Amino acid sequence: MKLTVNGKSHDIEVEGDMPLLWVLRDELQLMGTKYGCGIAQCGACTVHLNGLAVRSCQVPASAADGMSITTIEGLGQPEALHAVQVAWIEHQVAQCGYCQGGQIMAASSFLQFKPNPSDEDIDRAMSANLCRCGTYPKIREAVKTAAAKLRGEV
Amino acid sequence: MKRLIHILLLSWPGLIGAAELAIPDAPEPGSVSTAAGLNHWARIYEVASHPRCVNCHVGDSPYPMWSGPSFEKTQRHGMNVHAGASRIGAESLLCSTCHRQQNSDEPHGAPGAKDVWRLAPVEAAWFGKGSDVICQQLRDPARNGNRTFQQIASHLGHDVILHWAWNPGGKRQPAPHSLADHVADILAWGAAGMPCPGDVTTATEEVSDD
Repeated sequence: MKLTVNGKSHDIEVEGDMPLLWVLRDELQLMGTKYGCGIAQCGACTVHLNGLAVRSCQVPASAADGMSITTIEGLGQPEALHAVQVAWIEHQVAQCGYCQGGQIMAASSFLQFKPNPSDEDIDRAMSANLCRCGTYPKIREAVKTAAAKLRGEV
Repeated sequence: MKRLIHILLLSWPGLIGAAELAIPDAPEPGSVSTAAGLNHWARIYEVASHPRCVNCHVGDSPYPMWSGPSFEKTQRHGMNVHAGASRIGAESLLCSTCHRQQNSDEPHGAPGAKDVWRLAPVEAAWFGKGSDVICQQLRDPARNGNRTFQQIASHLGHDVILHWAWNPGGKRQPAPHSLADHVADILAWGAAGMPCPGDVTTATEEVSDD
């Protein structure tokens, strides 16, 4: 099957029911996408599939055939970070960092369609991404800052 | 919002080739008695009131429900999930972020179907409702999507998210009977004139009043 990951095309031979998460980590060595629960309950494995956030543990490789996938490694580059990544650094959101890739992928997908979210909007969008360190207040502030950046206000 | 739905459909290959159910011809109008029609309705209600259906038929609430034997208690869907006016979670978190094209067989894993996961229309408010209330809604074109009973049967045939109720995966209890039996009940109920339990009660009361 053919996957386009972070703009690069890959021909991959795996079982069709292999979760996309393991294709990314084990076949393509992209370790930024994390395994947390394996049942769509934590959000650590969030990536973009054709631009929308999905839990990669729930997407069989066969369902991603021919699609464009963006992982945390491809959202921005060190010299040109995505606005959400910049906001994350400004607010020093991460503690242990394990969930943060998924958090950033979820936030960047959400802000495409909600450019000026309220606190309630952010809480609804981000509540399914768990953080054992409890960085939720910083996540909320960082999402608001990222939204302002994407609107060109800061 | 239209852009989002367009992208969502593009990222949903399961819509292509999802198996539909061929709908048989309905019995001749009038060939099914009212009493038999009510028996068919009783079976329809067993399906319509089952957790596999009502958990997403929540009326004007934006919250999917977790109820039935898979859950210790009736509660709102976890994770602060809010389906919004779009009914697909487009305002915050799309249902399809987790509910993909297949069931997870892991305990507490997310179910899925070859269709866009969503809440039922607001007017199809079934959660916690009795037999007559649901029956009146289903036969009212203003609240059933402007459908005849044949079109309700067709809706069951081609809107494949409804098929999930009989194939919920894991240890979830499926809806009773079968999809084919449910369609047959809808057609027979329709041929009987779509009678509702309240019709009988009302008629009896009218006779008593005389």
